[in-house]
Amino acid sequence: MTSSAHGGGPPDEYVEAEIHRLLTENPEIAEQGITVVRREHSLVLQGEVESPHRRDEILRQVAERFPGIPLTTDIGVIRTQAPTEIEQLP
Amino acid sequence: MVIRIAAVGDVHLDEDVVGRFRPALEQLPGHADVLLLAGDLTRHGTEAEARCVAREFGGLGVPVVTVLGNHDHQCDQVPEVIGVLEEAGMTVLEGTGLVLDTPGGRLGIAGAKGFGGGFAGRCASEFGEPEMKAFVRTTSTIADRLGATLRELDCDTRVALTHYAPVPDTLAGEPLEIYPFLGSYLLGQAIDSADTALAIHGHAHAGSERGTTPGGVRVRNVAHPVIKQAYSIFHLGDHLDAGEVSTAGAGGISQPWS
Repeated sequence: MTSSAHGGGPPDEYVEAEIHRLLTENPEIAEQGITVVRREHSLVLQGEVESPHRRDEILRQVAERFPGIPLTTDIGVIRTQAPTEIEQLP
Repeated sequence: MVIRIAAVGDVHLDEDVVGRFRPALEQLPGHADVLLLAGDLTRHGTEAEARCVAREFGGLGVPVVTVLGNHDHQCDQVPEVIGVLEEAGMTVLEGTGLVLDTPGGRLGIAGAKGFGGGFAGRCASEFGEPEMKAFVRTTSTIADRLGATLRELDCDTRVALTHYAPVPDTLAGEPLEIYPFLGSYLLGQAIDSADTALAIHGHAHAGSERGTTPGGVRVRNVAHPVIKQAYSIFHLGDHLDAGEVSTAGAGGISQPWS
């Protein structure tokens, strides 16, 4: 199975599924928390990761594997500050 | 007296993350009696990644108690991962428990990774193909051990620690279609079989923080992408005002009753 099935048109459902699995199964990525949203003319990758390196790697790997697909990304790096509030549980 | 629990899950450590949590973790002594890690400590479950976890979460000055997650199983190096974590002084639970003496009383923690299957009325059944039966049996075996361990803890306050979710409440935000891969009601039933004060889990990155079991046990999803801070802190104690949450302090963690 290849990504060429979309033939340059809007990304289809199989491509979306393939990218979703790539994000988890590619050992350089291994992310299960990234959402792939299919829009009319592009795929949007959304979610949060633990480092800027991981965000860059997702973009690199997906662009390399699916060079013809327009990508929009909105991936953040999760904050690691100490909490400022405590939850009390009586 | 109050028992103070810090918790986070799904930190997915590798070399690129080492050092990011440490400044916040160094504030733990004086603010928490224990740090609970709700699984997925690593990206692929390699011994090298476990060493990153040991560097980041070792030697904190508070006991660290953890379960493993599905990511920690990916490379089939579970014994090596556990060995590295234990060498760093952490306690790794899988169908087991421990009791810690804290200033607020004896805190019993029972932990297990858990597994999937889904929630009441919309769950997998032990029926049909061997693969399906094995899937459901895996969860029920883990849940049975978790329940037995919780009931056997000789302590003042019981806490359950899992990676997978015991209730659907804390999955709100995840696609409904994947709920059966995120947790099982059997874990909730196990938690309800004992006098449990709090259930902590991770795994559901797009889920939400708060829920309760059918038996009324508070459930908290502490997956790092959900809590969006290095860890959360919970205070357990009979005298606290219901629902009260401390105020934010500019200098860090504040104690509202002091």
